[in-house]
Amino acid sequence: MPLAPNTATPAHPPRHSDGPALRVDDLVKRYPTGTEALRGVSLEIKDGQFFGLLGPNGAGKSTMIHCATGLATPSEGTIRIFGHDAVSDYADARESIGLAPQDINLDWFATCEEVLDYHGGYFGMSKKDRKERVTELLDAFTLTAKRKESTRTLSGGMKRRLTLARALMHRPRLLILDEPTAGVDVELRLELWQYVKQVNAEGTTILLTTHYLEEAEELCDQIAFINDGQIVAEGTSEQLAAKFQVSSLEDAYLKLVGRNELSRAHVGSDAP
Amino acid sequence: MIRFATLTRREVNRWVKIWKQTIGAPLLETFLYISVFGAALGSRVGDLDGVDYTVFVIPGLILMAWAINAFTNNSSSILQQKFQHSIDDQLSSPASPFQLLMAFTLGGFLRGMTISVITFLVASLLVDLPVEHPLILIAGLVLVGFFFAQLGVLIGVRAEQFDDVSFAQTFILQPLIFLGGVFYSASLLPEPYQTLTHFNPVYYMISLVRYGFLGQADVNVALSLVLLTAATAALFLLNLRLFTTGYKLRA
Repeated sequence: MPLAPNTATPAHPPRHSDGPALRVDDLVKRYPTGTEALRGVSLEIKDGQFFGLLGPNGAGKSTMIHCATGLATPSEGTIRIFGHDAVSDYADARESIGLAPQDINLDWFATCEEVLDYHGGYFGMSKKDRKERVTELLDAFTLTAKRKESTRTLSGGMKRRLTLARALMHRPRLLILDEPTAGVDVELRLELWQYVKQVNAEGTTILLTTHYLEEAEELCDQIAFINDGQIVAEGTSEQLAAKFQVSSLEDAYLKLVGRNELSRAHVGSDAP
Repeated sequence: MIRFATLTRREVNRWVKIWKQTIGAPLLETFLYISVFGAALGSRVGDLDGVDYTVFVIPGLILMAWAINAFTNNSSSILQQKFQHSIDDQLSSPASPFQLLMAFTLGGFLRGMTISVITFLVASLLVDLPVEHPLILIAGLVLVGFFFAQLGVLIGVRAEQFDDVSFAQTFILQPLIFLGGVFYSASLLPEPYQTLTHFNPVYYMISLVRYGFLGQADVNVALSLVLLTAATAALFLLNLRLFTTGYKLRA
């Protein structure tokens, strides 16, 4: 069944904007082993933007997200969410963030309804508000029939939808999607695109990491390339292509990771 | 308050949903102990320290049920959530380290309390179980439950695999409890075992609880209460430090 994005109310009530949605300054993440996952990342995502963060595996995308959401502690530098420091003012900062992580991490002991209800409670939503929002989101993500079922019984696609619904439960102003379409079928991918587009149109800022370049081109109005723990380029899809002196975002990416020979622009050029 | 209540509700719902394993099995185990050591062997042993043996072992069994279940629940719950990364939902929420720690603590504390209270009520129907010092008994049991709930949190946070949890339970916790005098009075032990027992912290806990029930103690009750309070507070502060720094919880 298709998602029904039009059944959900706006992602969050309008609130006073107090700075960019996300501002990262000279962020360093150094693990006890000495590995530097982030090496001085600076980035700004404006309120309302749909921002894509692209880079190869191990580039530092998830680490940056973990630093913003409190799942990792920055070694140096600062992260501010709508003006709130992610470390010293973590409660206000996290209040504004909804995270749909790369790996499904649903509570095995909870039903679909409980997953959303607990999440709303962790974010301080009242019982009445939680009840209404749970009904609304289960409906929007066509999970109402599974309301009382354990998360363990869900299909992969349903788990992915529930993960996204959970991230939206407390009406975050900044939605972070860490490879949300990894491993999902084409139909669900398109449905998720449709939904997040609507969420963004309603005013929610979105930070998306993905390996699918066409996904970034379709959804994002600003894209940054991250490689080896550093932001190496930022701009629109066209600006990035121009910066790398190629014709597409894909070729810009391939140039970034040093794999120009894989470019589809070369296909057939030296055919016999 | 909503945050803390929800965090606690999640922890309690976890063990309520699997009650056969988390409540039924420990209750059966406790009553098997009462049957074997109390009813079966008790008739041969007769009185111990002037008390019927069945009555003598019940306070220790009530303590043991609370301690082991508080510990097991918390260590397993935290490790399981770390494995599944479902704990990330709590960790990335605005909940404070204090709220998170207290909720994880209460999950096991309440499970242990439930089993102990049921054990007490059923045992009271089966034998004439006195409660000589109810305030000392409640204070002692609450402190013991809180101590082992904290210990479970500590082991759960530190653990990287299920083997770490079962090692702590099998090789540290159970020997300390069994050798602390649940089934016997330390005063009956020959030397050097009697002296060695005094180095076991659980010995003081059992004495405290037994004093609450039976009105007799091998140790100074006030000193035991003070030391148990100090040990519980120290463990709580250590855990709070771990939750604040994110040790083995946050990267």
